[in-house]
Amino acid sequence: MFISLHMLSTGLGPGAVASWPGRMLLEALRPFQVATTGLAESGTSLVHDYLDLVNVRKENSKLKLELAQVRTEQTRLAELEAENRRLSELLELRQALGVSAVGANVIGSDASGFSRTLLLGQGTDGGVESGMAVISAEGVVGKIIAASAHASRVLLIDDHNSALDTFDQRSRARGIVAGVLDGGLVMKYVGRTDDVKPGDTVVTSGLDGIFPRGLLVGTVKKVGRDAPGLFLDVSVAPAVNFRRLEQVLVITQTPPKLTSGKKPKS
Amino acid sequence: MRLLLLFGVALLACLAIQTTAPLWSPVRALVPNLVVILVVDLGLRHHGALPASIAFGMGYATDALSGTHAGLDALFMTLVYLLTYEVSGRLMMTNAIVGAVAVFVGSMITGAAQIGVGFTRGTPSGFAELMPMLLVQAAISAALAPAIFSALARIKRALGLRAIAERE
Repeated sequence: MFISLHMLSTGLGPGAVASWPGRMLLEALRPFQVATTGLAESGTSLVHDYLDLVNVRKENSKLKLELAQVRTEQTRLAELEAENRRLSELLELRQALGVSAVGANVIGSDASGFSRTLLLGQGTDGGVESGMAVISAEGVVGKIIAASAHASRVLLIDDHNSALDTFDQRSRARGIVAGVLDGGLVMKYVGRTDDVKPGDTVVTSGLDGIFPRGLLVGTVKKVGRDAPGLFLDVSVAPAVNFRRLEQVLVITQTPPKLTSGKKPKS
Repeated sequence: MRLLLLFGVALLACLAIQTTAPLWSPVRALVPNLVVILVVDLGLRHHGALPASIAFGMGYATDALSGTHAGLDALFMTLVYLLTYEVSGRLMMTNAIVGAVAVFVGSMITGAAQIGVGFTRGTPSGFAELMPMLLVQAAISAALAPAIFSALARIKRALGLRAIAERE
């Protein structure tokens, strides 16, 4: 008790130095304190690291989710942009042709797979009727063969039941473009003396009263002259990729029929 | 009535699949002829005027969404029904294998009819090229048939429908 009071009284003044046992103790404790402090710092760092890791993991999951959402949104926007581009092309085409037409989405294909038809999400309520021409920005697609209130069916020009009055844009040689069973088109009834060459552009004649004149049908792929007969064997590559069609234009106003210009006798 | 309802709903589902699947399928032949599976199930397990009429109706519905000749599928679906009806009447038992074989044959018949119509219209080529597609489609339809028969059987049990020979 007295020793401690004495020590207290002698060490109270300002600038008082520690006694030698105190200094020794200070020195002796230093390595332990350094080690303990280091350990404590390491422990704290470990805890902080762990907590950071947990946070990073959470943040990572959140960022991954955000990235997925952004990617989905980006895909959706790209899809919308593509759709917008296609619709703009169809609009331009409609304006260029100067006919009244309605746009329609392709909603289905042929149920059997052995005929070439498509289902459109536009019907009589939208002004679509049987017999109307269907086109896309690439060229002629087909003809409406059936229509209900909100849907319709298109017979594609590459179906074996389809026939389309056309001519070679370069030589003006006429022929009927029809589909073949395994896909593709042939140009029938082209005379052997007609000048038709591979690479020629085939367009609609407008004489069928369904398709406006001058619409792109396809390109002549091959001209066969070896087979006997009155006509050439002409293969045509369609301008439209029917498998990739998503939006089409249905021409609701049929072109005026060509007349001789003479008034009918009464 | 329950049979009509069941096959009506199944027909709508099958036609929805058959008309939309080609839009995303890389090869058209990979899309099975599901309606034939329904017709074969009718022929094997439900005999009478109503199932025959349903088979005709299913063919006619297919015609509405396929090809240009109304009545072609109706005719051949009824034919497939009659064939399977005859087969089921002559066999001691009908199982999924018999059904799958009937689906394969039925699918070939209806597909060949579609191709044959094009062939008779003076189409220059294509019959030989379409045969592999027809075979693939028939094989896929046959492979799927047992699962669909099984699903139909379960639904019929749930609806309390009795199969085979009991006149509808």
